[in-house]
Amino acid sequence: MASATFDPTYASHSGRHRRPSVISRPGPAPRPVVAEVATVLAGLGFGACLALAFTAESWRQFSAPGGVAMFLGNLTGLAGTYLALVMVLLVSRIPVVERVLGQDKLLASHRRLAPWPISLIVAHAVLLTFAYAEAARTGVFGQIGAFIRSYPDMLTATIALVTMVAVAITSVYSIRRRLSREMWWAVHLFMYLALALAFAHEIALGPSFVGHPLTRLVWSLLWASSAGLVLVYRFGLPLVRSFRHRLEVVEVHPEGPGTVSVICRGRNLDRLAVAGGQFFEWRFLTKQMWWQAHPFSLSARPRPPFLRITVKGIGDYSSAVSRLKPGTRVAIEGPYGAFTTHARRRAKVALIAGGVGVTAIRSLLEDLPRDCDPVVILRASSTEELILASEVSELVRHRKGRVHELVGPRSDVRVDRLSELVPDLANRDVYVSGPEGFVERMVSTALRLGVSKDSLHFEVYSL
Amino acid sequence: MNVRDRRSQSRATTTKKLRKMRRGPFVVIASAAGFAGIVAMHAAGSPPATTGPSTTPTVTPTGASRTAVGTSENYGYGTLGVKVTVRGSRITDISVATIQTAEQYSQQLAQQVIPLLRNEVLSAQSARINAISGATYTSEAYAYSVQAALDTLGVK
Repeated sequence: MASATFDPTYASHSGRHRRPSVISRPGPAPRPVVAEVATVLAGLGFGACLALAFTAESWRQFSAPGGVAMFLGNLTGLAGTYLALVMVLLVSRIPVVERVLGQDKLLASHRRLAPWPISLIVAHAVLLTFAYAEAARTGVFGQIGAFIRSYPDMLTATIALVTMVAVAITSVYSIRRRLSREMWWAVHLFMYLALALAFAHEIALGPSFVGHPLTRLVWSLLWASSAGLVLVYRFGLPLVRSFRHRLEVVEVHPEGPGTVSVICRGRNLDRLAVAGGQFFEWRFLTKQMWWQAHPFSLSARPRPPFLRITVKGIGDYSSAVSRLKPGTRVAIEGPYGAFTTHARRRAKVALIAGGVGVTAIRSLLEDLPRDCDPVVILRASSTEELILASEVSELVRHRKGRVHELVGPRSDVRVDRLSELVPDLANRDVYVSGPEGFVERMVSTALRLGVSKDSLHFEVYSL
Repeated sequence: MNVRDRRSQSRATTTKKLRKMRRGPFVVIASAAGFAGIVAMHAAGSPPATTGPSTTPTVTPTGASRTAVGTSENYGYGTLGVKVTVRGSRITDISVATIQTAEQYSQQLAQQVIPLLRNEVLSAQSARINAISGATYTSEAYAYSVQAALDTLGVK
C-alpha cells in the first residue's frame, strides 16, 4: 500500500526503480566469538567468587560456634551477588552481545537465571543472621536489631534485601501477569537501586574484601563498569539516538482490520544502522503514552528520512497508536534482535509469517540476496488480515521465489503440512515470526521435518 | 497488539528450549579455572589478613608472675595486642594492651569476643584456640599476639 510519504517499493532492488541516493546503513554483522568470550568470562568470574569465599576463611573457623553457617552465608552472598551482576549484564543491551544472541535469548537467560541470585541472597541473609546470633550468643531477633543499629552499611543492605524480595515477587509469573507491563517494569527498575544499596556492606564487611585491598578494588571496578554499561547502553545510547534522529509521526494509515502503519520522519536516518527483521522500543511522546515503550518491528528497511512500523492490536494502547497525530515526537531504543540475515546458515530460505508477524519477514526480505530462492508462507484468518501481502509478493518476485497464502479459520487450514509447501525445508534456513502459539507449532513442525536448530530462527509476538 | 512477547512464560516448550544457550560445559570449565586461579593466587602468597606491622614484644618481670606484651597484630578491621601474665608456665591472665579498630562496629565486636577468647586461652592454656565465628580475624590476631607473648616469656 503506497502512501504519499513512504514508497515501500522505493528501494526494493527491482531495477525498474531508480536506486535511492540515500540508503540506510545495514546492521553490522554479529561476531559469534563474543558470545563464547562472554560466557567464559562469566564462568571465570563465578569460579573466582566461589574461591574468594574459601580463601577468606581459615579451616579452624568451622569448628567454632556458627562457623559453618558463617562460611555458607559468605559463600551464598558472593555467589548470589555475582549472579545478580550477570543478570544485570544480560539485559544491559550491549550492542555486540545483542547482535549475536538477540534480545529474546538474552531475556530468556535473564529469566532462567533469576531464581538463583534472589534465593542465594536471601539464604545469605538468613544464614549470617543465625551464624552471628549463635556466635555472639544473642537471639536471632536481637541480632537483626544489632545488624541494623550498629553494623556499618547494614541498614542500607537491609533495605536492599527487602527491595529485592519485593521486586522478585512482582516477577513471579502468577503475580506478574496480573500487573500491567509498565507497572512491572517500573518496579523492576528498583532492582538497580537495591543492588547499589547493597554494595557498601559487601566491601565494608565481607571477609573476602576487608584487608584485601586488591580484591576490593577489582570488585568495585567490576560493579562500576557494569553500572557504566547500563547507563551507556540502556539509557545514554537511546537518548542520543532519539535526539540525533528526532523522529516524528508524519502519517498513520490503516493496513487491515485493527492494523495500522505508522510512518515517522527523522534526521540522519542514513546513519542509523539497522538490519531487516530488527525492532525498536517505541515511545510516542504524547501526554498519555510517553511513559510506555513498546517493541515494534520495522515493517520495511528505513527509507531516509522515513521509518515505518506496522502495528496490530486490540486494546487501549494500539487504538491510541491509530489515533496518533502527525507531528507527535517519538523516542526509540534499539535496534534490537537477531532475527536478521546474519543468522542465515544456508543458501536458501523459507519465511513463515503468522498474522502481524509478517512485519519482520517483510523487512527481512529486503536484506536477502537475490539468489536465496525464498519460499514465503503468509498465514491469516481472513484475506483482509493478510497485511503487506502485495509488498511481500513484490519483493519475492524480484528474488524469483514463491509466496503461499494460507487464509481461513484455523480449523480449515492445515498449516502443519509444511512439507507439501516446501519439500526441501530441511535444506533451508527457516524464519518464523508470529503469535506465540503459531511460532511454537511451526518451530516444532520444522524440527520434525529435519530443519537443524542452527537454521531455525524465530520471533514471537504477543497479541 | 504486536508487542514482542517479553513475559510469555506459557507452555511453549519447543521455542523455550531453543532459546536456551547451551553453554553449560563452557561455564563449568571456566568456573573451575576461575576458582583454581584465585586459590592458586592465594596460596602463592597474598598474605592473610593477620599480618602487618608488629611491635616488639616486651617482658616485665613481676615477682613470681611474669608479664609480656605480645605483638600488635593488624587484622584488617583493626589492631590488637594483648598482655599475657604467666606464673611458671601457667597462663593466669590476659588483658588487652592495645586495641584500635577501623570503626565502631569492630570495636563492639571486639568487646564482645575478647572475653570469650580470653576464656578459651585460659582453659586451653595455649594460643591454639578455635576462632570465634564472625570474628575470625579478631580471633586470629588475638591468638597470634598471645603466642608472641608466650614466645617472649619462653613458655611452650
